[in-house]
Amino acid sequence: MDSNQKYKSIFVEALSLDKANFDEKIEYNGVPEWDSIGHMTLMSGLEEGFNISIETDDIVDFSSYKKGIEILKKYKVNI
Amino acid sequence: MEDKNKNIQKIKKFSVELRKNILEMAYSAGAGSSHFGGALSIVEIVSTLFSYKMRINKDPNWDDRDRFILSKGHACLAYYAALCEVGYISKEELKTFEKDDSNLLGHPVINKKLGIDFLNGSLGMGLSLGIGVSISLKKKNKNNSVFVVLGDGECNEGSVWEAAMAASNFKLDNLYAIIDKNNFQQTGSSQDIMNTDSLKDKWSSFGWDTVSLNGHDIEELYEYFNTSQDLKKPRAIIANTIKGKGFSFSENNNDWHHAVLTKSLYEKGLKELI
Amino acid sequence: MIVNERNIKIWSTIGSRASFGIAALELAKEIDNLMVLTCDVSTSAGLDRYRKTYPDKYLDLGIAEQNMIGVAAGLSSEGYNVVTTTFAPFQTIRCCEQIKVNIGYMKQKVCMVGIASGLALGNLGFTHCCIEDIGVLRTIPGITIISPADSFETIKALESAIKSKNSSYIRLTGSSNNPIVYKEDYNFEIGKSVKLKEGKDVTIFCAGAMVYNSLQATEKLRENGISCSVINMHTIKPIDKNAINDACRNSKLLVSVEEHNVIGGLGSSISEHLVTVKNSPNLLIIGINDIYSKGGSYNFLKEKHGLSPDKIVNNIINNLKQSNNG
Repeated sequence: MDSNQKYKSIFVEALSLDKANFDEKIEYNGVPEWDSIGHMTLMSGLEEGFNISIETDDIVDFSSYKKGIEILKKYKVNI
Repeated sequence: MEDKNKNIQKIKKFSVELRKNILEMAYSAGAGSSHFGGALSIVEIVSTLFSYKMRINKDPNWDDRDRFILSKGHACLAYYAALCEVGYISKEELKTFEKDDSNLLGHPVINKKLGIDFLNGSLGMGLSLGIGVSISLKKKNKNNSVFVVLGDGECNEGSVWEAAMAASNFKLDNLYAIIDKNNFQQTGSSQDIMNTDSLKDKWSSFGWDTVSLNGHDIEELYEYFNTSQDLKKPRAIIANTIKGKGFSFSENNNDWHHAVLTKSLYEKGLKELI
Repeated sequence: MIVNERNIKIWSTIGSRASFGIAALELAKEIDNLMVLTCDVSTSAGLDRYRKTYPDKYLDLGIAEQNMIGVAAGLSSEGYNVVTTTFAPFQTIRCCEQIKVNIGYMKQKVCMVGIASGLALGNLGFTHCCIEDIGVLRTIPGITIISPADSFETIKALESAIKSKNSSYIRLTGSSNNPIVYKEDYNFEIGKSVKLKEGKDVTIFCAGAMVYNSLQATEKLRENGISCSVINMHTIKPIDKNAINDACRNSKLLVSVEEHNVIGGLGSSISEHLVTVKNSPNLLIIGINDIYSKGGSYNFLKEKHGLSPDKIVNNIINNLKQSNNG
């Protein structure tokens, strides 16, 4: 599985989303599942999936699927 | 008209019995004394509720009963007397008032067998209970009502106003707050201790449909409870009353907030009742 | 709830408050008459999802805690299974008398959950910390007091408390990224402590977030040649007297560790039983020494009040030295 697929599948699993209808424009609080609890679950999934530890500021800034791609570059994860 | 007169007579008779029971209990309390004055001021209110307005039957735990909460718990003499008149408490049990191990203490202790639905005594808590019960009844789609009797001194407590705010927020139109405005509290007049003159405005501004009535005028109480309105608001009655009402020695005399009823006064009271 | 490694990690990451919210959401599926009441703290208590999913099983009473307890009791009197929650000091001390009258004396069953107890919100000052809740509530008859060790135990505690006939107070400590104590499923029973480690010199009784710190401490103590048992006393009332008796027979020193005043909490409760045990070993009570200090971060305050693993280690070592010399 390449990073792109992995990134997407972590989103799908953490937020219990429909894989077939996944929308890359997804944002924090944009869907019911991506609330504060969903967000922490997502962060946990990303940390485990990519073997990284995300800093607090980045957790706060991680506001969308696209933004996340930018942030993960810092952790040498290229999607 | 005939029905109205019949009902009013029934309530009046109930009130006389209540005062008789209160006198008996206060006398048997002896040196232990009792909250005589504050019980007497709510007799007509309690009588109108228990003998006329409230939906109750022989079963104190009837699921479809209206609920009654004596938030001013120290007025329990009137409450126990009413529960006796409707058949939940025996006259023998009344005689155990404030005796050791009694079910009938100076403030009501919950006892489902005797029809005492809740536990009260620490002022300011009954209305919150009433809200919980009102919400429950609405959730169960029951059209019962909840009647909470409070004291005017009790309205000093902040918790009363938390509840007042919440009741109108939740549009609890099945909830009644009857404030016994006898203008006294434990150590003096409300004028002297903590002014309660604008109670009607206060309850009204908290979103309650508020009226001011003579709390001893049975006809006025009857007319009020006989008028149905679709308000979507809880209802407050500021009942203007006289502490110690019904006996010449206790009327408007704050010594009778909590006092000993001597034999001679007991006998005097009995004579005045007839 | 499905217990697996992934979920345990998620619950740990989101912390005990959000785990409570998830547990409530799950329990609402099977418990028809569940009602959760809050005082304008839905988001802080992880109840945002619950509120949206079960609006008819949720009631926000605004910032009026005393009223909330009365309303809870009224609902309970009509057959509802009620949970109340707000920040620990407001859930307990603020409405203490309402708890006494409605829950203790009138015995209307309610499960109260105090969030962010202990020192977790120390940067907001001690108005938002709670080091008194156990002491205050212990003196009200009829209330079970539970302090879960981690997010997973929080879920188990809530489930047990909701299904119990007795009223209870669940004290949540820790913050997000709550360390994991239980890595796999285990049997949780109200009133039965859990022995997490077996040792022969010292028994450490602990609860809440201090369980993890105590476990960390035992590693260092072992390096110093001191062998410790660690007992998670998750139920502080009724306290597991058998566990205390057992420890008296098998240890030279008893220690209690709590994120609470040394007066009135876990240590006090243990000592109340110890006075009935002949020749019991000494009890070292580690907690906040009856003071409101200056505030700061959670870690800063744990360190300051002797609750970090290192400070716990030093305290125990010094105590053992003193008793050897004395």
